Amino acid sequence: MAEKNVIDPSNASDLTPTSDYISHHLTNLTYGWCEKSESWGFAYHQQTIFPESPCKVSEMGFWAFHVDTIFMSSILGVIFFGFFGLAIRAAKTGVPGKIQNFAEYVFEFISNAVSSNFHGSSKIIGPLAFTSCVWILAWNLMDLLPVELTNFAGVAGSGFDYFKVLPTADVNAPLALALVVMFFVTYYTIANHGLGGFLKEFINPIELVGYFSKHVALALRLYGNLFAGEMIFILIGIMFGQFLMSFGQTLWFFPGLIMNLAWALFHILIIALQAYIFMMLTIAYINLACAKH
Amino acid sequence: MNVNATFFAELLAFSIFIFITYRYLWPSFSSILDSRREEISKGLEAASESQKKLEEAEDASRKMIEDAKNEASSLINQAGSRGDQIVEEAKTQATEEQLKIKSAAEADIEQNVTKAKENLKQEVSSLVLAGAAKILEKEVDAESNKQIIDDLIKEL
Repeated sequence: MAEKNVIDPSNASDLTPTSDYISHHLTNLTYGWCEKSESWGFAYHQQTIFPESPCKVSEMGFWAFHVDTIFMSSILGVIFFGFFGLAIRAAKTGVPGKIQNFAEYVFEFISNAVSSNFHGSSKIIGPLAFTSCVWILAWNLMDLLPVELTNFAGVAGSGFDYFKVLPTADVNAPLALALVVMFFVTYYTIANHGLGGFLKEFINPIELVGYFSKHVALALRLYGNLFAGEMIFILIGIMFGQFLMSFGQTLWFFPGLIMNLAWALFHILIIALQAYIFMMLTIAYINLACAKH
Repeated sequence: MNVNATFFAELLAFSIFIFITYRYLWPSFSSILDSRREEISKGLEAASESQKKLEEAEDASRKMIEDAKNEASSLINQAGSRGDQIVEEAKTQATEEQLKIKSAAEADIEQNVTKAKENLKQEVSSLVLAGAAKILEKEVDAESNKQIIDDLIKEL
């Protein structure tokens, strides 16, 4: 928010506004259980539309929902999978149109990645790879929206002062994906090697650590990359903030503009790459689970 | 980085999207691509078949053209020889006709000549008689001198 970002020229060494700005950008719109008032509600001072609870985000326990993450991820899923659904509904076996061509290209790309890296027989791995790749890509693309966009929306009277558009930068979302992958890895290990074969892997207890860390790393790799990308956008955004608040003091506007552009261009690579890596690792893990030792 | 109940919501959303992809998107994409693959292979097969047919048709047409050429040349030869024959026949016919006309004309001339001779003899005999009468100053009796006159005529 703009007013949080004011830097008093007489006290330039005070970094509190800057850190406030950063933490504001990293706080999700949260709806949860407040111990203090023993009620459900949005976190303190996050929005002005719905009734709010006296708890801040940090005071809410486990039973809290990041409304922005859930909303953005679901709506992106509906849009992207809806796009593929509409493309296939209008599809014909003859010469395909442009949209159908694109949808088929994406499908074939993922389908080839599956068939060249997965040697077992599974009906779920194709859809799993497709869903994770497309969905993560949709999430990550949100990183290219300006970091201030939702805050401007808040200032303009949308009622929501806190709204993170990037679901990947909320660790819950990648963790949920990784857990699903872990579920399928476990399922296919047991299906192919039996429960005994699955348990035999953990004769050495260190293997158990490896088993869990493998999947946690899958989630954190995605989360970390996108979180860091978001963070850098925020840091660049502070330069704008300084410019906007004290025109005479700094001229960070143009370096900020150039850096924002440069980082956005570079970030496009990370956006696509992380979605691809997650998909490939999913395929590789399940392939490993199906492989005969 | 705070893990909370959002995790379950994301889990649910992911499961739903996987189910949708598994149930609807993936099979329909697979089926449409499979049917296209089939269509393409059929098309390629049809193309090679029609290529073969085209070659066959080309062979047949080439053969037909060759036959037609042969026939045409034989016809031309035939026509030429027939023409020669007709010319030859016409020539012999013309020659015959010519000979016939010529002989007829000759016979006619002969006849005319004979007739003229006869007429001339008559004339001459009457002239002789008239001359003799003049010389003898009397009528020569033609009847009585018939023998002499006839002898004269014969000598002419």
